[in-house]
Amino acid sequence: MTDTVKKRLIKFLVSLIIFGIAILIIVYNLRDNIVYFYSPSEIIENNQTGSQIVRLGGLVESESVVSDGDSIFHFNITDGQEQISVKYQGILPNLFAEEKGVVVEGIYMNDGRFIANKVLAKHDENYMPPEVIKSLKETGKWQE
Amino acid sequence: MSLAIHYVANLLLILCLATSIIQSRFLFKIQNYNLFSISQISAIQFLSILVSFFILIFLFITSDFNFDLVYFHSHSEKPLIYKLSGVWGNHEGSMLLWILILVLFNFLFSLSKSSSQKFKEITVAVQSLMIFGFVLFLLLLSNPFNINNENFNDGLGLNPILQDPLLAIHPPILYIGYVGFSLIFSLSITGLLTSEVDKKWATIAKPWVFAAWSFLTAGIALGSYWAYYELGWGGYWFWDPVENASLMPWLSATALIHCVVVLQRRNTMQSWTMVLAILTFSLSLAGTFLVRSGVLNSVHTFASDPGRGLFILIFLFIILSSSFLLFALKSEKINKPSLHNISSRNTGIMVNNWLLISILSVVFLGTMYPLATDLIYNQSLTVGPQYYAISITPIIILFLFFMILSPKLSWGESKLLKILSEMRYILISCLTITFLTTLYFDLFNFTEILIIFLSLILIISSLSSGLNFKSTKVIVKSNFGQSIAHAGFGIFMLAVVSNAVYSQEKIYDAKVGSKLQLDEYIFDFKNIEQEEKDNFNSIRAYLSLSKNGKDLGEFSPEIRFYSDPPTITSETSIIHQFFSDVYVVMNVPQNQESISLRLHIKPFMNILWLGVIMIILGGIITAILNRKKYEENAIN
Repeated sequence: MTDTVKKRLIKFLVSLIIFGIAILIIVYNLRDNIVYFYSPSEIIENNQTGSQIVRLGGLVESESVVSDGDSIFHFNITDGQEQISVKYQGILPNLFAEEKGVVVEGIYMNDGRFIANKVLAKHDENYMPPEVIKSLKETGKWQE
Repeated sequence: MSLAIHYVANLLLILCLATSIIQSRFLFKIQNYNLFSISQISAIQFLSILVSFFILIFLFITSDFNFDLVYFHSHSEKPLIYKLSGVWGNHEGSMLLWILILVLFNFLFSLSKSSSQKFKEITVAVQSLMIFGFVLFLLLLSNPFNINNENFNDGLGLNPILQDPLLAIHPPILYIGYVGFSLIFSLSITGLLTSEVDKKWATIAKPWVFAAWSFLTAGIALGSYWAYYELGWGGYWFWDPVENASLMPWLSATALIHCVVVLQRRNTMQSWTMVLAILTFSLSLAGTFLVRSGVLNSVHTFASDPGRGLFILIFLFIILSSSFLLFALKSEKINKPSLHNISSRNTGIMVNNWLLISILSVVFLGTMYPLATDLIYNQSLTVGPQYYAISITPIIILFLFFMILSPKLSWGESKLLKILSEMRYILISCLTITFLTTLYFDLFNFTEILIIFLSLILIISSLSSGLNFKSTKVIVKSNFGQSIAHAGFGIFMLAVVSNAVYSQEKIYDAKVGSKLQLDEYIFDFKNIEQEEKDNFNSIRAYLSLSKNGKDLGEFSPEIRFYSDPPTITSETSIIHQFFSDVYVVMNVPQNQESISLRLHIKPFMNILWLGVIMIILGGIITAILNRKKYEENAIN
């Protein structure tokens, strides 16, 4: 084995090890940090209760938004078939409104309530999250 | 009138198509056309697009709603600056801007005197072939000059969140960065075709690649700063797919600029430089167009259209497959045997190249994984920011280590012990500073302490290597650009870590007259007012900030209600202090009595932007210094 070949081999192996370790860390982490998206029907069907953080999306049910003061809000998210009661403490996005699309992130509790720590909405009144469109189409509630 | 403009503009685009065909003749060995020189044809090419771009600007300023684009994206009552930024705040207009920069780079390169005639001819030909593709796409699939026969009285308006001075300049700057790499790509293809990838190639490419990189960095930074104060979430980076799409070419470009330097100095790493050049441009293309096509779902996407994504995917596929095929055929020819020692600077740069590519893979997987699961399993999901933080942190620690070490290594063989002894004062002082900071701020997380320690060494050792302190004067060395950029990165990392550790946030339901508290800051909620402005109505809250009885200034966060199109936005109010930003966002009032206010303390934000500015300056300095040096060589 010549000197150059040896050096190339060492370089190759070192790069391979660095890259391999990196990929391992990546894949390991990716699995732990995924947030799944569900519609109200899916979350009830899968019974996704417990400590895992998930996203829930649908329409804010009309006349369901109640404020407790101290920035605590209760509202229902529906996909036309099922609805989930959501509790959220914080600032609601500007375009949060009844009968508009919304995505919340948080934990689905054993008693069927959803405790949200984030409410996501875009800054465009006609915007509908693609996931919500998909789930509304599945329940046949989507209108173009 | 409108009809005449429509025809003129389309003719100009067709003229550009024609010139591109003429320019690409060198690729097909047709040389007997000598009526105009290359730079003259490039000038016509550039002017045709420039004039059509000015026509579009004119249409937006005069609010000619006979044009679809103006009707959909403008409004007669909008301030002038947003009529202007409306030009590129939509798909068609931003495509025209993209092409304008593409032809501008072609024109500038055709004027440059750094390369041989033959090399220039082929580079301009490759670039013109791309121009042809994009102009054809513009004409057929996204023509900005389509007209309608309705007589609309007014336009539909521009999304108010885009009505921001910073967003008026963000896309052009970012595009100059993205498109700059098209020239690097053309240069690489030319290098491969002529089998001339060597020191000379690197000398030609270097100023362009550093300029493009600086603009890309500035573009990303502007987008990030905009998100920081406009979105009102207190963060500056969200690992959002669109942000990732701009970060990926940046990572690969950062690896590329270092390879070009190695190639220029040592005439080695030819293949790797070519791979990175092709990769960077492909990622830039994907970055712009996946964003524009709406494939990526994001907070930053405003002008999207899924139909056109397909063209870009096909275009991307052609560019990738043909360039890698060419590379596979030619890589044996361009590679020179490299004879460097394992303990040389090459190795250090190579390791950091791999680390950059690892970060790129992390970002790539995180961005693409949700797309893949949605396509394959029909399962929607998102990847949390924690994934990026946890995966990238260990890579960054190694990266910082090699960033400190590599510039200390010589291009030949180096002794590690000698370097260690040379750096002993820096090491000891940084260790002391880190220890004191750790005690003072009650820091116990080992990772954070390590990053702070390494960043400090990087800052001091970079700055001291770029300047030579003689007894009476300070001499700026030729690696000044590098030393500024590296020190800037150290400052940036220091700020990122401290910001992540010490940020604070609190939400209040506040009444006028109440006093709110966060950390040692007191917020005195004074008043609330309604105002009517040109194109929106607003509710404004007034708060004054004080700390330990000392008055620090006034906040006036605002909610704006726009009517065209109907949208509500929150305007944050920030008081910048040297060490920390204090940040207030208000919410649409839900009831009469109280209003929700979110208060943030964001430490080290100024320092963070300072680091970013130094990184950009470093790139610009290197681009300019190289230019000078080249011209001197040319004269001799």
